[in-house]
Amino acid sequence: MTRILLRDKLDNCVARWRKAGLTVIGPVKKETFSSYAAVENAAELDLSMIMPDRSIKGLFFPQTEPMLHYTIKKQALDIKDFTPPPEKRIIFGARPCDASGMAIDDPLFGWDYKDNFWFQRRNETVIVTIACTKADDFCMCTSLKLAPDSTKGSDVMLRPLQNNRGWLVEELTDRGRDAFNEIADLLQDGSEPEASIAVVPEKFDLDACVTWLQKTENFESTFWKEISMRCIGCASCTFLCPTCHCFDFQDEGDTYSGIRRKNWDSCSFALFTMHTSGHNPRATQSARWRQRIMHKFNYFPGKFNVNSCSGCGRCSRQCPVDMGITETLQAISTLQP
Amino acid sequence: MTIQETYKTRAKELLSSGRVKMVVGYKAGSTPDRRRPHFIRTPEEADRLILDSACIANLSGYLITEGLLSDEKSVGIFLKPDGVRSLNILAAESQLNIEQIVVLGFDVNNNEITALKGEKAEDFSTLIESLKEHVPQTPGNPLLERIEAMNAKERFAFWEAEFSRCIKCYACRQACPMCYCRRCIVDCNQPQWVNTSSHTLGNFEWNIVRAFHLSGRCVGCGNCDRACPVNIPLRLINAKMAHEVLGAFDHFAGMSQTQEPVLASFKKDDSETFIL
Amino acid sequence: MNELFEPEIVAFVCTYCTYAGADLAGTSRLKYAPNVRIIRLPCTGRISPMFILKALQKGADGVLVSGCHPGDCHFTHGNYHARRRWMVFRALLEFMGIPSERVKFSWISAAEGGKFADLMNSVTEDIRKLGPFDQYKELIRETETPATF
Repeated sequence: MTRILLRDKLDNCVARWRKAGLTVIGPVKKETFSSYAAVENAAELDLSMIMPDRSIKGLFFPQTEPMLHYTIKKQALDIKDFTPPPEKRIIFGARPCDASGMAIDDPLFGWDYKDNFWFQRRNETVIVTIACTKADDFCMCTSLKLAPDSTKGSDVMLRPLQNNRGWLVEELTDRGRDAFNEIADLLQDGSEPEASIAVVPEKFDLDACVTWLQKTENFESTFWKEISMRCIGCASCTFLCPTCHCFDFQDEGDTYSGIRRKNWDSCSFALFTMHTSGHNPRATQSARWRQRIMHKFNYFPGKFNVNSCSGCGRCSRQCPVDMGITETLQAISTLQP
Repeated sequence: MTIQETYKTRAKELLSSGRVKMVVGYKAGSTPDRRRPHFIRTPEEADRLILDSACIANLSGYLITEGLLSDEKSVGIFLKPDGVRSLNILAAESQLNIEQIVVLGFDVNNNEITALKGEKAEDFSTLIESLKEHVPQTPGNPLLERIEAMNAKERFAFWEAEFSRCIKCYACRQACPMCYCRRCIVDCNQPQWVNTSSHTLGNFEWNIVRAFHLSGRCVGCGNCDRACPVNIPLRLINAKMAHEVLGAFDHFAGMSQTQEPVLASFKKDDSETFIL
Repeated sequence: MNELFEPEIVAFVCTYCTYAGADLAGTSRLKYAPNVRIIRLPCTGRISPMFILKALQKGADGVLVSGCHPGDCHFTHGNYHARRRWMVFRALLEFMGIPSERVKFSWISAAEGGKFADLMNSVTEDIRKLGPFDQYKELIRETETPATF
């Protein structure tokens, strides 16, 4: 049996979830900037945007996070671990590309060492995704073999009904079912006509790109220099990306005491690969851009069998010099394999 | 002929005569309202050149790309007056040899594009002088005026809210033609002056240091502001500092290639009302 | 709270004038507030604005920067450069909401032991009145707590 969540019940749902001890997080638009943020009522949510400027990555993998506190004493070392305080959360209105980004990163954070910071937050969070009814020029999920209504990574998928009336509820995981049982009496049985899902044209032939990337001789292709000439080497693409996951450890404090933090890091920084000797194996910006593309579409799928890109298009949308994955892969798909 | 066509022809002439090895200009971007940098090395590539009122990015930062000017060949570049000013600063700070730069000048005002006469940076000095003369007494930015009317606590809270969402992607630094340090102060860790973490404290420190290093050097091109993915009004801070420096030391950044950097020079009678 | 707030103040001073002035204050048996921690540097020209930020980062409630009077610099014009820098940095801090009452600048010569003692007292008193720099300390505290949303 299908169930429907009507839009005018949303405020009650938010209140109910909050009463049940969940932090409700959703897309919020401020004057000049949008992101996923905690809300107190449904009026704060802005479900009309194509997607917030920032992805949901930061909710699981914060831009900076203390790992441990150290104190070095005479012949003794005191270490105090930080663990994220338990916090049950529900993200209402995630985009399918954001949700799938988290699923893409799961194997990475758990293949060898199991990253507790990531998994504790993953387990404590219910992701309620709303399928997209609109897209912009930068959206490219279909090119990544995903779709504006992919359920990957979501705990619950909501399919918008016509006339903005509400959503058809599709529970995908136990976590999702539990959260929606909480509001069961606010849901309504039955079915209503669904709104049409956004049309996202395919922008490049992913398979052709991957074949080209996998050819060793293309590693040294002049293509990389040409395509990345205008790259200024900032990290806005990697930091806004829902799947980019590189981090750096940084000790803040002094020799005797301080805090070890885990901070986002980016392969587009020259310092990312700088050796202590001063040698930098990725000395040029083109080598760094190549690394980003190769990692996402060649190395990562080689290890985890999934592309490290969910097609949100933030890299292109927000690039100061109008670069991005779309342009690069479009260019690659026109090259001879 | 439109300005775009005139300049296309000019770029082709410069390239085919061997006067320059490259022209840095603009071409179409991924959406109709976007322009992206275009590196033109052959006359044919010049056909894709676009020059219109959407060409607002300051391209001068590309001139100091490692190795670009080391063969002593010339490079042409499309610059607005703010770009010419940053070119002057780069020359004054010995970052490039200004003789190697051929300027293709233009200006955009109220969505109208105009061509500017001249091809050497110094040809624009009268224009830049008149810019200095016409700097308004008050910056005339409503947000800036709002901030100035606040007390210290409110101002702190305002910037705390703005900086709390900084993600330290350093797009502001990378997009700025004046931020050319091989190793930025935040990347130096012996000692680590500024926290590199992007907690609000680290963000506060970074943005103060960035603004300080650009005091008296910023030309207000807005590259940082446009680059910021979280839309922090960075340009306000720079504008405020430019205003201070102009008021205190009569310094307008980028007047000429011989202008002394304001914080590397002094006058014996500089104001010191605040010193106890 | 009845207890008197004791501010922590960091003073960056040049070795040739202000530090010698502090020395004179000491040898003259002048009594002054113990809230100031002095850090000696070769010249005010060596006092980078980064030092001021670092002091605040480490929890200082106030910062004092002091050196030779104009014209007296051991290195001829280090203090002239410093003066411009302070002027700009002060305006910036003010704009960022870091009150100028918390970051002060002075000229104190080797002969001005009395001025040194008086200044330490008045600066301490001023900052005591302002109270702890809570806004900045709140930022420091935030760095020591786990990330939440």
